[in-house]
Amino acid sequence: MSKGMLIDTTRCIGCRACQTACKSWNNLPGVKTTFSDTWSNPRYLSSADFTRIIFREDLHADGTVGWHFIKRQCMHCNDPACVSACPVAALQKLANGPVVYDDSRCIGCRYCMMACPFQIPKFQWDSAVPFIRKCTFCADRQAVGLEPACATTCPTSALLFGDRQELIAAAWRRIHQNPGRYHPEVYGEKIAGGTAKLYLTAQSFEALGLNHQGFRTDLGETPQGVYGREWMGKVPFVALAVGGLTLGLYAINRRRAELAAAEAAAKHEGKEV
Amino acid sequence: MAEKVEKWYPGEPRGKISYGRMILYSLTTLGILSGLIRLFFGLGSPITNLSDAYPWGLWISFDVLAGVALAGGGFTMAATIYVFNLKKFEPLLRPAKISAFLGYLMFIFGLFFDLGLPWRIWHPLIYWNTHSVLFEVAWCVMLYTTVLGIDVLIMALERFQIEGPVRFLRSIYVIFIVAGIILSTLHQSSLGALYLLLPEKMSELWATNAIGILFFASAVIGGLSVVTIESLVSARVYGRQPEMHILPDLAKGLAVALLVYFAMKVTDLYARRVAFFALDWQHLLFYIEIFGTVALPALLLTFREIRESPMGLLWCAGLAAFGVALNRFNVSLTSYGGYREFSYFPSLIEIFLTVGLVAGGILLFDFLTKNLPVYHEELIGHGEPSS
Repeated sequence: MSKGMLIDTTRCIGCRACQTACKSWNNLPGVKTTFSDTWSNPRYLSSADFTRIIFREDLHADGTVGWHFIKRQCMHCNDPACVSACPVAALQKLANGPVVYDDSRCIGCRYCMMACPFQIPKFQWDSAVPFIRKCTFCADRQAVGLEPACATTCPTSALLFGDRQELIAAAWRRIHQNPGRYHPEVYGEKIAGGTAKLYLTAQSFEALGLNHQGFRTDLGETPQGVYGREWMGKVPFVALAVGGLTLGLYAINRRRAELAAAEAAAKHEGKEV
Repeated sequence: MAEKVEKWYPGEPRGKISYGRMILYSLTTLGILSGLIRLFFGLGSPITNLSDAYPWGLWISFDVLAGVALAGGGFTMAATIYVFNLKKFEPLLRPAKISAFLGYLMFIFGLFFDLGLPWRIWHPLIYWNTHSVLFEVAWCVMLYTTVLGIDVLIMALERFQIEGPVRFLRSIYVIFIVAGIILSTLHQSSLGALYLLLPEKMSELWATNAIGILFFASAVIGGLSVVTIESLVSARVYGRQPEMHILPDLAKGLAVALLVYFAMKVTDLYARRVAFFALDWQHLLFYIEIFGTVALPALLLTFREIRESPMGLLWCAGLAAFGVALNRFNVSLTSYGGYREFSYFPSLIEIFLTVGLVAGGILLFDFLTKNLPVYHEELIGHGEPSS
């Protein structure tokens, strides 16, 4: 049964305990940060920051200021583009949900980074022996029956870990039972073929200005890995067709040359006789 | 079999290193140093300007994508001669194979330094993901470089008059011809298909489902134009006669390829209803690409006077080859550029390594053509097997 996580951003208070829990569970190094135009810290995900809370200020119609706190991390797609892209199968989608990465296979080509529609895989640029790093959905914790570190630590139950299908139903219940509180969409239910992380937001990601900052809304419902797989499906037939054509024409050319040579020889003989 | 090939080219003083060579040697050395620095210090800033926002940069755009497309001359000439039976182009085959082989070596070296864990470059051999376009590219390139290597090996064996293996390799030569054409068709198009997975990150000018077949068509252009340039330039440098009895006819083929490619591009834009008229820099680069480097050389090549003048040919082929490289940069960098608040420009190390690879390639080309039976006048009577 595939697990998921419901991220109800309207419940988030921006305490960033999830960021800290993630760091300590995954033993990630501290990173020197700087103050930025928003309160978001760190500014970007990196190989040392698997998750972060994006802070968004929002001016209400009555003049008061409101906040949106949007957690960002690997979406753990149902059909991940990175898994399709990886030439050495270093990335795998586990049956229970997590998309995990195998250090020992990776060659460092970074095609997963190019392919991911959510721009999640990050590279250890500063290392001479670099690997890809990203949120693992705490696959190691799940394997021993624990919840992901971020969900365990969240003080407001903004992060709810559970069965993906049940979470989708719960999300829609919340939308219906609280008219006006939520933008009527569960981001992650269908986008790019569906993801394990499911978002409830007060406004659409376009309205939040995040649709080009990791929460694309124009991806459609087709997982992008499909395009690569369709292409690969055609490869054997293209190979056979090109090979057959090449070999056939080559044989015809050769036979023609032989006949021409024989004819010339016959003519030559005829002359001599 | 071939006699021992002793070459001496007028115009090059023996025992002295010319200025051209000195520059090439220095650039190659600089490239090697850059490569070593990258190996010891990794890919991060300030070694390269690659980042999480721009995981692929100059090395992928030029060394890999443009390099492979411009090395398309090997399979294009093999198909022309053996499949389309245009035997008169045979004098261009061996130089094309040499430059293709070097193009692929450059690809492999470029990729070696681009990979985060280059010592695992062989991993696709044992770890398979048959869903991955890049997996297919890896295999095709490995096998095709082997095929090209065997071609060069045959020349080397001829050079040293080792006849047994040559006879054996020629008896099974059809395998290499067919394999070379299959593998090239597959990976030339698949390099474009890599970008099928990221349409949302690309400008709609280049993000198309037809990108695979467009890459293939432009690789044919790249192959034909580089073969033309190579013939003209090496004639000038080595004081040989350029193959002007066949180059104008090859140029007709190049013109046809350019026209077909132009039609494909226009059809693709029309079918996808792309907003074609705009004045941002992506559109400008796109206009340069399809008008300046596809339509223009095609138009110029329709004039007999241009086709039959070495200078005219050189310009047209040069434009076409530049256009293929520009297309690869556009697909992989220009197109990707509008997407983020980040920008990318290659670092000095990235540029030095790429320039060094090209310089080293030229030196190796020079070495191989001087020491192997490559040019037609050196192999009258023992050219390629006609069977």
